[in-house]
Amino acid sequence: MPAVQETIDQVRQIDVDQYKYGFETIIETDKAPKGLSEDIIRFISAKKQEPEWMLEWRLAAYRRWLTMEEPSWARVDYPQIDFQDLYYYSAPKTAAGPKTLDEVDPELLATYEKLGIPLREQEMLAGVQQSKIAVDAVFDSVSVVTTFKEELKKAGVIFMSISEALREHPELVRKYIGSVVPTSDNFYATLNSAVFTDGSFVYVPKGVRCPMELSTYFRINDQNTGQFERTLIICEEGAYVSYLEGCTAPQRDENQLHAAVVELVALDDAEIKYSTVQNWYPGDKEGKGGIYNFVTKRGDCRGRNSKISWTQVETGSAITWKYPSCILRGDNSRGEFYSIAVSNGHQQIDSGTKMLHLGKNTSSRIISKGISAGQSNNTYRGQVSAHRKAANARNFTQCDSLLIGDRCGAHTVPYIEAKNASAQFEHEATTSKISDDQLFYCLARGIPEEEAIALIVNGFVKDVIQQLPMEFAVEAQKLIGISLEGSVG
Amino acid sequence: MNIQSKPTLTPAEQGLIDAFVAKVSDLPGDAELTAHRDRLIAQLTETGLPSRRIEAWHYTDLRTLLKSVPGPQPAGAADALPPIAPNALILPLLQGTHVQPAAADGLTCTSLQERLLAGGASETLQPLGRDDAIGMINSAFVTDGYVMSLDSEAELAPILELQAVQDGGQAHGRFEFEANAASRATILERHARSGDSAGLTSSVSVLKLAENADLTWIILQDRGADDVHLGQLRAELAEGARLRLFVINTGGHLVRQEVVVKVEGEGAHFDLRAINLLAGQGHTDVTLSIDHSAPHTTSEEVVRNVVLDRARGVFQGQIRVAREAQKTDAQMACNTLLLTDEGEFDAKPELEIFADDVICAHGATVIDLDPAHLFYLTARGISEKVARQLLINGFVDELLDELDNEELADVLKRRVEDWLDRHV
Repeated sequence: MPAVQETIDQVRQIDVDQYKYGFETIIETDKAPKGLSEDIIRFISAKKQEPEWMLEWRLAAYRRWLTMEEPSWARVDYPQIDFQDLYYYSAPKTAAGPKTLDEVDPELLATYEKLGIPLREQEMLAGVQQSKIAVDAVFDSVSVVTTFKEELKKAGVIFMSISEALREHPELVRKYIGSVVPTSDNFYATLNSAVFTDGSFVYVPKGVRCPMELSTYFRINDQNTGQFERTLIICEEGAYVSYLEGCTAPQRDENQLHAAVVELVALDDAEIKYSTVQNWYPGDKEGKGGIYNFVTKRGDCRGRNSKISWTQVETGSAITWKYPSCILRGDNSRGEFYSIAVSNGHQQIDSGTKMLHLGKNTSSRIISKGISAGQSNNTYRGQVSAHRKAANARNFTQCDSLLIGDRCGAHTVPYIEAKNASAQFEHEATTSKISDDQLFYCLARGIPEEEAIALIVNGFVKDVIQQLPMEFAVEAQKLIGISLEGSVG
Repeated sequence: MNIQSKPTLTPAEQGLIDAFVAKVSDLPGDAELTAHRDRLIAQLTETGLPSRRIEAWHYTDLRTLLKSVPGPQPAGAADALPPIAPNALILPLLQGTHVQPAAADGLTCTSLQERLLAGGASETLQPLGRDDAIGMINSAFVTDGYVMSLDSEAELAPILELQAVQDGGQAHGRFEFEANAASRATILERHARSGDSAGLTSSVSVLKLAENADLTWIILQDRGADDVHLGQLRAELAEGARLRLFVINTGGHLVRQEVVVKVEGEGAHFDLRAINLLAGQGHTDVTLSIDHSAPHTTSEEVVRNVVLDRARGVFQGQIRVAREAQKTDAQMACNTLLLTDEGEFDAKPELEIFADDVICAHGATVIDLDPAHLFYLTARGISEKVARQLLINGFVDELLDELDNEELADVLKRRVEDWLDRHV
């Protein structure tokens, strides 16, 4: 269906040239020399005062990476990346380890303020309408500040940068790092394992419901800097955490690389909710500049009755290559993936999810809405598989695509693999068709078809938006601001 | 891991190369065609058969699945079979060799061998790109087949039954059919086995439909449980042309049936109804690629699969809609009854859309029989075996109702019932 005028206007409003986070912060930085070698990895590891095993782990990953080739199966097209022409470490020059916010460079605080990220706890506390969110802000290669640490500590929740965690809780990091995304996983994950500089670490102990939302803001500032962060979230038995992630970068003519790894581990009865609003600089109208976003995100539902839910709103980046996945290992575990991906200008998105059903009675749900405009290409690529022993595996997948203009492309590439009779998979990719059952339900109650369809689709979009925590939902809605009504035939 | 290296040849690859060396002097064609065949085999030697690393072969890793190939010589002579289509005109291709071109009103038919011998045929024997292993094997080895042309406005009264019958060894045949403007015909392409020996077949059918031509094409693949069948159907549809394709797979140990359709003329329509009945340890792959490159074109595909025992089924369906193809309506559904825990079904329906005013949808489901349905029937005194057969039959049988020729539909339905009788 052609898009309605209202939708077209709204897309224009959020056109790539309107990128409002494109400013650069002039700040003194501490950089490692350009290029990648074992020495650089030793340098990063030494800077972070990491234990010996971590250095060995990084070096092993690096040696493996040297033998790997860049994957080419995704529907994205970009010039060869020169991995030797990047800075792998860049940190704002400040006195070692700010104890309070007052010790943080005011320029940095101003940057985050411009981004609308409230780092100052007192402001947060004073704010009447705002709920409390603990923030870990990552600037280029290092985490600059983590708020509400003390309060979280009282609940037993560990929330700090991964570099700190490596120093303070090495046994926890060692136990879990690489257990979901092994160093050999894929080209970019292996590179990340070798050179990751920072990221967040969350540990929620048994039975604890994390008292506030945790959030990380990633900001790439420096020129020619690759950002490689690593996030590790562990939820012990019966614990719950909701984690939000936001990303921005300055407007630059050259492309910048971002290759992150996120690992989630949910044990028995635990639940992790991971939300992302990704708004890296997408490049200008001619497709110049922008972030190359090659991200490996995976959650492991290791325990019985565990649940991992990914929600993403993707509006930025020149290239997105990202498949937040769930390994449903524990019996009765559940995986969810809600996604809205908007591409405009010359953006290329190849994103989706993997739901790997291994345990018994596992279920998963995928709702993906792709909207492409300009000359962009938007691909949904998802895999749903049920192992022989995954009795009663259930999946429901729905992918809707909306094209605005005749120079963009929308693609759907699902992989559905069932290996036992009790698996029940449903996949729907459509711009006009909705589950017949639902439609029938509405029609049987006297609702005209068009209204029924609008009702159902609206319900679905709300589903994705509603998965986001309040603060993010508002931001996401502002970013998207697109009615999906035009997608109904 | 992404380490890539030149593959060492598998026994099957070596077998194909040896077969080529043994047969090359007997393969029909001029020097140019021989050189062309040589090049294709050189390419096979260099790249090997496709593995799962090649996206189009992700679920049918020929390097692993094709353990060995039989020698080029057949085990015995194959005879033409009684036709299954009522009042059919038979064109037998026995062990990959034509018998005699038949004639009917409006239909001209020659053997492919004749054309290969006449020279200049290498241009028509081209694979569809680097990953087209079936096109490559067939082009390199093809010996014979039929080249048919139906006159403008002609309506072929009898059903044309193309019978590829084989008893062991290798057979590489090809059917070319040109349906001129506003012609109409129903063709049954039947692949059967005679004798006890396992065989390897490659078969390529090339269909050209001119303006307003209306063709019903049925592929019935009923080879032995240890046979390898590599089939490909290519079709080009001009303005207003209509192709209705039925694919029924009931046999074979390793089967890949590719369907490559180019919907090039405005208002053209393609539809596919496929029934894949899989049992034993077979691996059956139906891979479909449809290109819509003109406005107001439509396509509709329904694929129904039944998986029993340790069988593995694959469906890959790609719909591409070019920028110019506005107002395209393309619908694809793949429904599978996966009835055992040892079986497997993999589906990859794909949409690739560049036009903004289109309706495109695909759906895929994988489920077991509904216990409530079974209960309903068994509560009425029907044995579980019969109840299961009834339900499965109901699931696939309705696709054959869409065949215009009722008699032929009945014949095919009986074959489905027979299969269910033997396997469920």
